[in-house]
Order: sequence, then structure tokens, then C-alpha cells
Amino acid sequence: MLDILFYVFSAITLIAAVLMVLTPNAVNGAMCMIVAFIGTAALFVLLEAYFLAVIQVVVYAGAVMVLFLFIIMLLDVDKGEGATEYNNKLTIGASAIGFLLLVMLVFTAFSGDHLPELGLTAVTENPEVFDGGVPFTTSSKSFGYSLFTKYMLPFQVAGFLLLAAMIGVIVVSKKHDVAED
Amino acid sequence: MTVGLNAFLIVAGLLFAVGLLGVTLRQNTLVIYMSLELMLNAVNLAFVAFSRYNGTMDGNLFVFFIITVAAAEVALGLAIIVALFRRRQSVMVDQLNALSH
Amino acid sequence: MTAAQILLAALLTPLLSAVLIACFLRRRGTLASYLSVAAAAGICAFSYLAIQASEAGPIRAAVDWLSFGNFTVSMGFLFDGVSATMLTMVAFVGFLIHVFSLGYMADDKAKGRFFGGLSIFMFSMVGIILADNLIMIFVFWELVGFSSYMLIGHYLDTDEAAAASKKAFIVNRIGDLGFLVGIVYAYWHFGTTNLEAMGAAVNADPSLISWVIAALLMCGFIGKSAQFPLHVWLPDAMAGPTPVSALIHAATMVAAGVYFLIRIAFLFPPEVLGWIAVLGTSVAVYAGFCAYGQNDIKKILAYSTLSQLGYMSAAFGLGYPGIALFHLITHAFFKALLFLGAGSIIHGCHHEQDIFKMGGILKKMPITSITFFIGVLALCGVYGFAGFYSKDAILVAGGLDSTVIFALLTLGAFLTAGYMGRLVWIVFFGEPKSDAASHAHESGFSMVLPLVILAVLSVVGGWIGVWPEATGEIIRDNLEHLHHAEGHDAMHSKVMILGSAAWIVGLLGSFFFYGVGKNGDALQNRAKPVYEFLKARLWFDEIYGFYVAKIQQRFAVLLSFLDIFLIKGIFVRGSAGLVGLVGACSRSLHVGNIHGYVYWFLAGIILLWALAAGVAL
Repeated sequence: MLDILFYVFSAITLIAAVLMVLTPNAVNGAMCMIVAFIGTAALFVLLEAYFLAVIQVVVYAGAVMVLFLFIIMLLDVDKGEGATEYNNKLTIGASAIGFLLLVMLVFTAFSGDHLPELGLTAVTENPEVFDGGVPFTTSSKSFGYSLFTKYMLPFQVAGFLLLAAMIGVIVVSKKHDVAED
Repeated sequence: MTVGLNAFLIVAGLLFAVGLLGVTLRQNTLVIYMSLELMLNAVNLAFVAFSRYNGTMDGNLFVFFIITVAAAEVALGLAIIVALFRRRQSVMVDQLNALSH
Repeated sequence: MTAAQILLAALLTPLLSAVLIACFLRRRGTLASYLSVAAAAGICAFSYLAIQASEAGPIRAAVDWLSFGNFTVSMGFLFDGVSATMLTMVAFVGFLIHVFSLGYMADDKAKGRFFGGLSIFMFSMVGIILADNLIMIFVFWELVGFSSYMLIGHYLDTDEAAAASKKAFIVNRIGDLGFLVGIVYAYWHFGTTNLEAMGAAVNADPSLISWVIAALLMCGFIGKSAQFPLHVWLPDAMAGPTPVSALIHAATMVAAGVYFLIRIAFLFPPEVLGWIAVLGTSVAVYAGFCAYGQNDIKKILAYSTLSQLGYMSAAFGLGYPGIALFHLITHAFFKALLFLGAGSIIHGCHHEQDIFKMGGILKKMPITSITFFIGVLALCGVYGFAGFYSKDAILVAGGLDSTVIFALLTLGAFLTAGYMGRLVWIVFFGEPKSDAASHAHESGFSMVLPLVILAVLSVVGGWIGVWPEATGEIIRDNLEHLHHAEGHDAMHSKVMILGSAAWIVGLLGSFFFYGVGKNGDALQNRAKPVYEFLKARLWFDEIYGFYVAKIQQRFAVLLSFLDIFLIKGIFVRGSAGLVGLVGACSRSLHVGNIHGYVYWFLAGIILLWALAAGVAL
């Protein structure tokens, strides 16, 4: 049953992604992007990363894509403009190399040693051991616990980063005549 | 669930490739940016898959940070695109090229 | 003052004068001339003091100038009997010529430049005389060459002066190349270039004498003293003003080569000396013949100088450097006298130099004529005059060595008398042949006084007994040696007879052959081919001209082509082009197109991936 769900959500994600890339209309593209993010969130659920799935929906699909939509509509890009240009040499070259990368990835994925196939088990207890990697649990509590012990420094730095980004956005998006006062 | 790690990795890889295609093929800056987000998203998926299959939380935590940084980056990037649009009145990459004659 | 300081003063006085003239007095010709004459007088005074100071023994002083590791170049003085003799002559004759130039160059427009050049020349010449090592000699050698170049080209708006100065300098440089190689070899061989040190080394170990060093150092002498094959510059150098010809190309600079030989006499093995004797004799005879084909008074005197230089080198080659020095000194006196006399005549005839346009000068310019006659008699070696004693000694030495040399030298004496007689009969007697000559008048006091003094010296200068004690020691030694040589007395009487016969026959023969005051050259009129052959001077100039124009020029063009194509084209432009190519390639990366950048990103990633995967590059 979960396998079927995996295949379904993978398909949704991939198709939405491809549609996003191909559609000439940017707003449509944003919409497809939202669908892709939701599909990814579903995949996270399948991987028992429930907290992350919710974060994905709330932050990515909810905030980031909405911001994108705002900007797209603010800039009022014409429909049909921005269609892909297939004739440019650079485009062809880059596309070819991208395809090459993909092939290499698939090849790498199917060759060499596979990682151990683990069955999924429901793990809901609190973590006990903290040396080495933090053991996997599905509870948010353990998520928060390791966030505030092992990953304290990145957490604080991320806070500063957000502050800097906020200030940066304010500065960059000021209008010129206002900024030159 | 019998789907193994490889399947998730293939999906992530395909997503990454699609995002890369979008970056190289599209002229609209905003669509390019969205494709970049798609690539980040693919990486997130790969991280979570590895994390689950290794039995640790570190991958998940890293994805948490990636999402944080990506959000900040999107905000700032869009602000820059808006400023650029104010300057050049366009977001099409070929019209933004100031080095060509 | 200490002796070294006196010498330094003697060296630097003319330099100071030259610097002052060059900086401040270029337009103030009169002031410059007085300053230069004062400097020349200063040299005389200081050299007198130096000779007094050197009566105790030779003066030595040295200071290190440059040092690289254990190689040092030092500048120093070596003031012994030889340099005392030479310095006296140079100082005194130089002073007289300076005084003469006051009158001769009185109405020249570039007087300041001329006297500055004279001062620089005196500085360089005194430097050569006082130097104590080869490198210092070489430095001043080049300076003398430069002064000569500057002074020959004094009339710089005439083509022939410019060409002559270039020729002199270039021919000198060819000789100097051998000189320089010789200095390097000498340093390598002896470990020092100091003259006294080398002399001591050779005395201690005679096997150190190497004919290569001698031959190479001789190249400098050949260039400077106009021996075969580098003699071609001396006649052309007559394009300079007459005082310059007198000072530089008669009395001092060309003698510097002989002086240099005398200084390094200890380095010469017998075979090289033999070569020098042959060289000198051949030049003496060759120049004697050439003088018959010349109509310009200065050129005749130039060939006479060439001939007498040949005598000096023959004397040196016969093993008597003292006699060479003796002849050098006496030659300086009477040749300077002759040149100055010619200058006086030229000045009086308003710069007319062709002897067939002069005539009857005796009546118009008596003092000049009498002094000129005295000079001619001294040159011909008439008994009692200065030239007799030195020439007599050379002929005796030649006779004792080899009959061929003796015969040739006597022939040279006969030729000398012949062409000088030709000059005298045509210039001084008969009727004036041109307007300028008929309006000639005696020159001013400043020009006549040196003539008179030099005439006195031309008579007295040969009486070695009356020379000051400190000078002439090596001359007396050599003469003693000669007197005590085997067969001297018989040879001496033979020389007296033949020598006197030579000049008597020469003078009278020219009187009858060329006639007095004739219009044209008798030889030219009667035997034109002979005259033309003599005038051609064995085609040396033509051969050199051909070589330079055809062979050397082609080679120079080839080198220039290589330079342009190889060095400029490939190395310089090529490396610049390479840089430009790299720049263009780098520029192509900056397309401004975002997709292009992505393309380069991906290419870089592939590269890194390949590297990480261990694909050997």
C-alpha cells in the first residue's frame, strides 16, 4: 500500500516539476511548483519525517511560493513572454551537460554497493543515546532535543542569517530616491 | 514498504535534473529561480531518505536548516529581482545582458 | 702638497676647465678660450712641480674604484721617468698649441665648444700618461678617442668633417676591441692589470710572457697610432681645425700608442717585436710614397706623421723603446711646429689649403716661413737639429739589426726630404697663385710666439744632455746601450754619410724635379699614371668601403632581420600575443548571459567529478 502511495506521489511531484519548467506562463509555473512541494511533503511523510513534512508545507509551499506569486504578479510579466529558447547554442550545450549529469547519477545509483535495505519501523520513544548520530525517531520532541543540544550553534547562526536576510531585503527593495536621502 | 533507498534517490535525482533543465532552458528570471528551489527541494528529499535509511536524525536536522536558509535566500533573491526589474524594466535574461554588444 | 696631490691637480685642472666651459661658457667663447689656456698653463706648472717631487723616486698612488669579489679596478698614478718625459712634452706643447688657438680660432663661431674639447682632451691625455694599470689606460684611451671625435668634427656643418670624425672613432674602436680582449687576457694570465705588478711578475718568471697578450694589446696601438691596417683615419682627420691636427694627430694622441707600447715593453717577446719593426718600416715607406700624391698641405703633413710613427714603432720593434720615446718627443716638437706653421699659412691665406694655390709665402709671412724651414730641417734629420739625433739612432739600430730594414728606413728618409722639399719649394717661393695668397700677411703675436718657441725646441730638443735630470732617463739608457752595441761605430759613420746624403739628395732632387713655384705638380704633369698610383694610396679606403658596404652591411641587414623577426616578432610580440590570447579566452567566459555561466558551472562540475572519480588527467 505504501509502495503505491510512493509511486503516486513521486509521479505527481515529477510531473508537476516538469510542467513548471515547461509552461510559458509564470503564474501557472508557480502553481505547479506548489503541487510539487506538496508532493515532496507527502514523500517526507512516507519517510516518517512528519515534522519536516509539515514544515515543508508551511514554509515552502505556504510562504516561499506565495512570495513568488506576489512578485510574479507584481512584476506583471506578460503571458507568453519568456518562452523557452531552444536554438541558443549555450542552451543546447547546457541541456546536454545536464542530461549527462542525470545519466551519471543513475549509473552511480545502480552500480556499486547498495545501502542496507532497512525495513521501516515505528519508533516513537524518546532518544536515549546521544553519541554519534542521533537515533532516528519520529517524534518532534527528539527533533527539538537534538536541535537545541547538538545543533545549537547552527541554530543560532540561522537566526542571525534570518535577521541579516530581513535587513537585506529592506535595504535592497527600497526605492532609489528614498534611499538617497 | 518495500521501496528501497535507490528509488527515493532516483526521484530526487530526477527532480534535480528537471530543476537544472529549468535553469538552463528558461529565459524568465523568476522561473529560473523557481527551478533553483526545485533543485534544493530535490536535495532535501535525498537528505531525508538517507537519514531515514541510516537511522539517524542528522539528515532531518540538516534539511531543517536547508529550508531555513532557502527561505531567507528566496526573500533576498526576489528583492534583488525586484530591484533589477526597477532598473532594467525587464526580467528576461537575454535583455538583462549588459556585456553583449 | 704631496706628490700624489700634485698629480691629481694636474689631471683634474683641465677637467674642471672643460666642465666649466660645458656648463656655463658655451656662448662666451673668449672667456672659454682664456680658461682653457689657463688650464693648460696649470698643467705645465703642476707637471713641473711633479717632476721636482719625483726626483726622489717614482711617485705611486692608487685608490680602489670598483670591486667585485676579489676583482678590483683601481685608479692610480705611476709617475716614473718615462711618464715624466712624456708629461713634460704634452704639457708644454699643449700649452703652446692652446696659445696658438687663441689667435687661430679667434673668429670661429663655436669657440667655446672647441676649447672645451681641448680641455677634455688634455685631461684624457694626462690620464693616459699617469695611469698605472691597463684598465685605467683603457678608460682614458676611450676618452681620448672621444675628444678626438669631438674635435675632428668641430666644423659640424660640413659633411667631410662629420664623416672623418666618425671614421676616426670607428677605426679606433676596432683597434680597441683587440685592446680590450688583451686586457681581459692579461688579467686572466697575470691576475692583475697593474703595470708594475705585471713587470715584477715577468721579471721573476720570464715564461709568463705570452705573444697573444702582446699581439692583442698591440691592436690598441695599431688603431690609435695609425699603423697598418688601421691607418686610414689619420689623413681624413685633417678635416678638423689645424690646432687640433697639431695637438692630437701629430704630437700627442697618435703618440699615445707608442707611449703605451713603451709602458708595456716588458710584455713583448722577440717575435712580436720583429713584427712591429716590419710593420713600422712598411708604414714609414708607404706613407712616404703617398705624400707625393697629395696637394693639401695638411694631408702632406698627415702622411709625414704617419711615416714618422712608423719610425717610432720600428725603433720599438728593434728593441729600443727609449729611442722610440726620444723620437716621439722630438717629433712632437717639430711636427707641432710644422702643423702650426701650416695653420698660420692657412689662416693667412684665408683658409686656402691647396699648395698649388699658395706661393711666395716667404715674402709675405717671414717669421712663419723661417720657423717652418727649421721644422723641415728637423724633420729631415739634418745634423744639429732635433730630428737628427733620434732618427740617427733609429737608423743605427736598424742597420745593426737587418740590412733590409736599414735600406727601407733610409729610403724613407730620402722620401721625407723629397716631399717636404716639394712642399717648401712650391708654397714658399715663386709668385702667389691666388688672390688669397697674394693678400697673405703675417699672423698675430699669439700665433707667432708658439712657432718661435717650437722652432727653438726643434733645434735644442735633440741635445739630450741639456734635458732635465728627471726626464729622459730611459732615453739615455737606450742610447748608452746602442753606443756600446757591437759594430756601432762603423754603422754610425755609415748612417751619417747615408743619412746626410738622403736629405741632401732629397731636397735638391725635389728642387730640380718640381721646380720652384710651379703651377702644377710636376709628377702629375710628366708621369700621370705614377702620380695617380701614388694618390690612390694602395686603395685601402676603397677596400674598406667595399667591405663595409657589401659584406658587413649585408650581415647587418641579416642580423636586423633576425632581430625584427625573431626577437621582436616571436618573443616579444609572441608573448604579448599569447597573453592577449589568454585574455580573449578568458573574456569569452564573461558573456553576460546567465545560461552561459551555467554552462561553465556544469563543465567545471564534470571536471571536478572526473578528478574526484580518479580519472587520470
